Amino acid sequence: MLKSKTFVKKTRSGGVVKIVREHYLRDDIWCGSENCTECKQESAVLQRDACIESNLCSYPHYLIPDTNVLLQQIDVLEDPVIRNVIILQTVLQEVRHRSAPVYKRVKDMIHEKEKHFYTFTNEHHRETFIEREPGESANDCNDRAIRVAAKWYSQHLMKSQSDGDGLRVVLLTNDQGNKQKAEESSLLVYKCEEYIKSLIANPELVDRLALSNDDKNEISSSKVLFPEHLPLSKIQAGIKSGCFLQGTFRASRDNYLEATVFVQGEGEDSTEVLIQGLQNLNRAVNQDVVAVQLLPQSQWVAPSSVVLQDEGTAKDDSAEEEEEEEEKLKISAEVARKPTGKVVGIIKRNWRPFCGMLNVSQIKESTRHLFTPADRRIPRIRIETRQASALVGQRIMVAIDGWPKYSRYPNGHFVRSLGSAGDKDTEQEVLLLEHDVPHQPFSQAVLSFLPKMPWSITPEDMAKREDLRRLTVCSVDPPGCTDIDDALHCRQLDNGNLEVGVHIADVSHFIRPGNALDKEAANRGTTVYLCGKRIDMVPELLSSNLCSLRSDYILKLYFRGSWLLFHGFNFLLLPFFPSPPYVLVQASLTYAEAQMRIDDATKNDDITESLRGLNKLAKILKRQRIKKGALTLSSLEVRFHVDSETHDPIDLQTKELMETNSMVEEFMLLANISVAQKIYDEFPDCAMLRKHPAPPPSNYEILHKASKSKNVAIHTDSAKALADSLDMAKVDCFPYFNTLLRILATRCMMQAVYFCSGMDSDFHHYGLASPIYTHFTSPIRRYADIIVHRLLAVAIGADTTYPDLMDKHKQSALSNNLNYRHKMSQYAQRASVAFHTQLFFKSKGILNEEGFVLFVRKNAIIVLIPKFGLEGTGPTLKVEQHTFSIFDKVKVTISLDDSNIQHQKIRMALTHPVILGVSVPTPDVEPQAKKSKLDR
Amino acid sequence: MAGLELLSDQGYRIDGRKATELRKVQARMGVFAQADGSAYLEQGNTKALAVVYGPHEMRGSRSRTRHDRAVINCQYSMATFSTAERKRRPHGDRKSTEMSLHLKQTFEAAIMTQLYPRSQIDIYVKILQSDGGNYSVCVNAATLAVIDAGIPMRDYVCACTVGFVDESPLADLCYAEESGGVSSLALALLPRSGQIALLQMDARLHQDNLDSMIEAAMTACKGVSKVLDEVVRQHLQEVSVLSRE
Amino acid sequence: MATVQVSEAEKVYILHGIRDDLRVDGRGCEDYRHMEIETDVVSNTDGSSKVTLGHTVVLVGIKTEIGKPRPMVPDEGYLDFFVDCSANATPEFEGRGGEELGTELSNTLYRAFNNKHSLDLKSLCISPGEHCWVLYVDVLLLQCDGNLYDAISIAIKAALFNTKIPRVHISADDEGGREIELSDDPYDCVRLNVENVPCIVTLCKVGHRHVVDATLQEKACSVASLIMSVTHRGTVTCTRKVGGGSLDPESIFEMTEAGKRVGKALHAPLMKLLQQEESLGRKKQKVGFLS
Repeated sequence: MLKSKTFVKKTRSGGVVKIVREHYLRDDIWCGSENCTECKQESAVLQRDACIESNLCSYPHYLIPDTNVLLQQIDVLEDPVIRNVIILQTVLQEVRHRSAPVYKRVKDMIHEKEKHFYTFTNEHHRETFIEREPGESANDCNDRAIRVAAKWYSQHLMKSQSDGDGLRVVLLTNDQGNKQKAEESSLLVYKCEEYIKSLIANPELVDRLALSNDDKNEISSSKVLFPEHLPLSKIQAGIKSGCFLQGTFRASRDNYLEATVFVQGEGEDSTEVLIQGLQNLNRAVNQDVVAVQLLPQSQWVAPSSVVLQDEGTAKDDSAEEEEEEEEKLKISAEVARKPTGKVVGIIKRNWRPFCGMLNVSQIKESTRHLFTPADRRIPRIRIETRQASALVGQRIMVAIDGWPKYSRYPNGHFVRSLGSAGDKDTEQEVLLLEHDVPHQPFSQAVLSFLPKMPWSITPEDMAKREDLRRLTVCSVDPPGCTDIDDALHCRQLDNGNLEVGVHIADVSHFIRPGNALDKEAANRGTTVYLCGKRIDMVPELLSSNLCSLRSDYILKLYFRGSWLLFHGFNFLLLPFFPSPPYVLVQASLTYAEAQMRIDDATKNDDITESLRGLNKLAKILKRQRIKKGALTLSSLEVRFHVDSETHDPIDLQTKELMETNSMVEEFMLLANISVAQKIYDEFPDCAMLRKHPAPPPSNYEILHKASKSKNVAIHTDSAKALADSLDMAKVDCFPYFNTLLRILATRCMMQAVYFCSGMDSDFHHYGLASPIYTHFTSPIRRYADIIVHRLLAVAIGADTTYPDLMDKHKQSALSNNLNYRHKMSQYAQRASVAFHTQLFFKSKGILNEEGFVLFVRKNAIIVLIPKFGLEGTGPTLKVEQHTFSIFDKVKVTISLDDSNIQHQKIRMALTHPVILGVSVPTPDVEPQAKKSKLDR
Repeated sequence: MAGLELLSDQGYRIDGRKATELRKVQARMGVFAQADGSAYLEQGNTKALAVVYGPHEMRGSRSRTRHDRAVINCQYSMATFSTAERKRRPHGDRKSTEMSLHLKQTFEAAIMTQLYPRSQIDIYVKILQSDGGNYSVCVNAATLAVIDAGIPMRDYVCACTVGFVDESPLADLCYAEESGGVSSLALALLPRSGQIALLQMDARLHQDNLDSMIEAAMTACKGVSKVLDEVVRQHLQEVSVLSRE
Repeated sequence: MATVQVSEAEKVYILHGIRDDLRVDGRGCEDYRHMEIETDVVSNTDGSSKVTLGHTVVLVGIKTEIGKPRPMVPDEGYLDFFVDCSANATPEFEGRGGEELGTELSNTLYRAFNNKHSLDLKSLCISPGEHCWVLYVDVLLLQCDGNLYDAISIAIKAALFNTKIPRVHISADDEGGREIELSDDPYDCVRLNVENVPCIVTLCKVGHRHVVDATLQEKACSVASLIMSVTHRGTVTCTRKVGGGSLDPESIFEMTEAGKRVGKALHAPLMKLLQQEESLGRKKQKVGFLS
């Protein structure tokens, strides 16, 4: 049967156009129920025995939610208790139109077999199709479609039943009008809330109900605290005419009354607009896309240098306290004024579930509590829960529902509990969730693609590949490393040249494109190294066993990185051979072991000789690189000595860099650069490369300020100028100055990113001073390297392409995901280090150490402790006699302040120089010193 | 607003068809009395009118006469109201000229031109409403018109457009699908012998997918040929009934 | 028009027949051939109609667009005509062959229809000086068998009757710019009042008498014709003489009177038919060419 759908649309140029589309009706859309005898479906999704214990519906029943229920109560529907739900095509399409994240979650639920969710294509079913009546609005039409489909279902299921007490169909809707009309046509319909409350076997579901706007009786004061958000049409008109700007809202970590909106300008620049004050912030949450209006220039302020935290309580809906705080901000210098504005409307909300802890309300019987998220940039959330007493001291996840304009805090609902706070596993879980790191165990589908053990190279592979077992190959890695992906060899040839080879594990042989294993690895993007735990990108069988180049006398497949020929000080890159070889790894050494071997004059075996050769060549390569302008920067990396039994950190040390670290690094860089050139030559359109943009001059301000304070000149016009001036920056009697300067310089740098060569034209890597660069040498722990392996394999003719590899848009999307995952894993790693540092200090009590001032703020100084690689905030008031300047040497006491379980801080107190009212006396060093709160 | 979902998870397209299903085809031969052969064909919302004049003496430049076969002259034009946004020129623009050329090539392969030396056969096709698959509908309509004119052909010429979305080929694209950035391929087939008269694609497609697309197109064309055959037989029945009376 | 070769003997035959008020196909001098009208044939236009008058087949499609009004008359919309003589009708119209005829037809139509007496052009205005509705009337000639003007004008009247203009309203935003908003309901539209739209009647002078709705053969015998557009009240809005021969003033006067009579009689049954078709609503079977 053919019907047609007609509607009128507005074109971009302002005209109107009439669109006519065909609409076919079918007879072969089945109902999906196991119970049904009429429909000839292959596999029924909805169960026959669809029982949920409910005191409203005591018979087995299927649920049909309408659009608003699906959008708002998605958390309740995701609960494993709710099964056997029919999602209508009308509802699904409306959800897709209104909210992409909710749509994705609904699709995931439909794919999960245990949930038994069925999609019914009601718009193409002959009996449930309706045409729009004249005078009916779009919403009414959709509601009518839902009712007609529900009616059809109940009649259809009735037909296949012999007894009366059989399957029924329940419609869930919150819309009063819809409910009334449904009852008139004798459908079973309930409001979502009353249905969930009726599930007596699962009372915890009630907590996960999102608060809807009908609950007006809760709000006591109806005072409007915030200006109204403008409707979307006005915002769009304003943006088009230029009086509003669209940008991403980033809250300030230190100051809850301040935020910046990043407005995307033409090309790469973005302007920043400062927002200060609760009214101007106007209920925007971190990461939302907002519309701002610039205030007149007379009202522009400077970013505040105070550190402010939100200490309000739940019942404070008044704005008085806020006004006091805002006064503090108004003391601004004339110098540093920035464009300031106010938020006039929200274009897109980017809410996600947040981890944090519950602040139980002081009132005993109250069910409304405030939730403090772990992320400082998110405001506190008001939730309603009956289990408050059980949730005290636990880390929980909460999702925001909405922020009405008369409420001081946004409203949300409880999602789930993660475990008790402070507990190592819970904290790790929180860390991984907050940084969006996928850490679930690999699913069965993924593991099914692993090769069966015991595995060995098949004779076909041996025939196709080159046999290089005669080479002495060894790998050098950090101690305790099991995922070894690179190995080197060095050999003296007869004509006096040195042959060097870089060997990389051939992961792409095991992970074929397109299967579940590949998709999971692409999603994870990178292996995340936390202290004491490693979240793998690929399952352990591959990462630690089959692909890892360990010296366990099993033949390993690998991918030839680059084959270099050294003659004197020059090297020649040999062309890539057509077939990737296989090799036997002779030894896996740690950096320390390798260094020892090189230094030990008595050892003269093959491995040591090749190590010496590699070392010599590495030094040459490094010199060449530095001549071109590569930067050597410094950052403090610490390592923990972990107690083997309790897994608590015993000691904390900065990592030392040995010659062998540098040796391996040089060859990896060379391999990466040469592979980058090769794949770009072959695939100028879709090569996966890595670039490091040069930082804009404004980034270097702190460096200039710091160097000027000690009268040292730093030139930042080019990488080479920076490198040279850093080398020459020395101050008498202050040997640590150079390292400090390098640490500051590292902070000025931009983030290096992956990109697809067809989508960008700037390839330069600033830090390495290389015109082109990619990641090739670590395919076990980085997905980008696997893509580069595949491209290289095609380039040398060892493998075939597949459609997605050549699609530059898909590559670009992939590189965006990889950049995001990389960034998140770095934050997670830092957070893990911070957490372990806190654990360490918890057990140590108070320590007395030397440090240097790194930054000076209005009411605090940031101090760097080189011994532990620690940065902390030390409080100081504005004192007349003594002003601090950057790089001053101070002595501080370090202790753990765990008064706030969620944000345990390392507290530093000044002991030297002595300032009345600020410093504390130097404590005696007693091993059993009890933890005590220090006075300010 | 998210774009249109061309193929849903359950396998239904925007208009409710499955991936291999064709649109509704309705056709009628002998629509105009004055022309030698005429046909009207609707495939979904795409409607085309084809008219054949000939074989007759060469008009225009005598120099183009072929001594051993007939010259086929095609013109493709669209009504100005056929598209959603009004077209200013019905014919003469580049796309129409290209289409005319393609039609000419297609029919030169099918019509037995050796039977009519030194003459000309004109095929004029007009699109009354355009909703995707213009070329295919033209070819199908023109086949019927040529049969109505009594000009002998080797076989029916059936055409279909096929697109590729999400690893599966979609047969008989409508306008919304064509403009949704789908790589589409148009194929004209002589069904009984399985010979391809015209193959045209101008989008990027990975070569692994080419075979499956061609397969899908050929199956779709065979489906169309069945419908056309039905129409011709019915028309003959009607005509013979009338002339008997 | 496509020409037909008529021999002298045929000409004499036709002339004598007309003299006696008996034409070749049995009609009287002022009778029309069998006419079939159908509206809403092309679904993606805003209004369309198909008219079959004997063997003449004409298809009219109307598309509405928002455009800028003419500077001289800022508070009125306008119509734009385009006649496409397609090669379907005759091979001579291939390529640019039909352009001449097409231009001639569209100019005449423009003069006849695009004035405020025929259609209320003010109702087509959206905001004076800035936006107005422009109706693009596209005529497609599919088969020519004489009497094109009549068939086209009837088709245009039917198509205008069928036209549904979407309802828009202008909202002013803060800057003073106008935003056009469409109503959500696809049934919400404005219909045109076609009471005053004229119909064109062509009268051909054959011998000493004149005939209405001449076929191609009769046209070949005639010396000159008079084209006039007549409204439903019998008012003549536009007159033109075409053809190679000359007419004397008395015949012109006679022909005008006859034309007025015929034209007036045409409107009432036409409107009744159109309204009947409209009232069938959704149940109407769309036939188009498939009958």
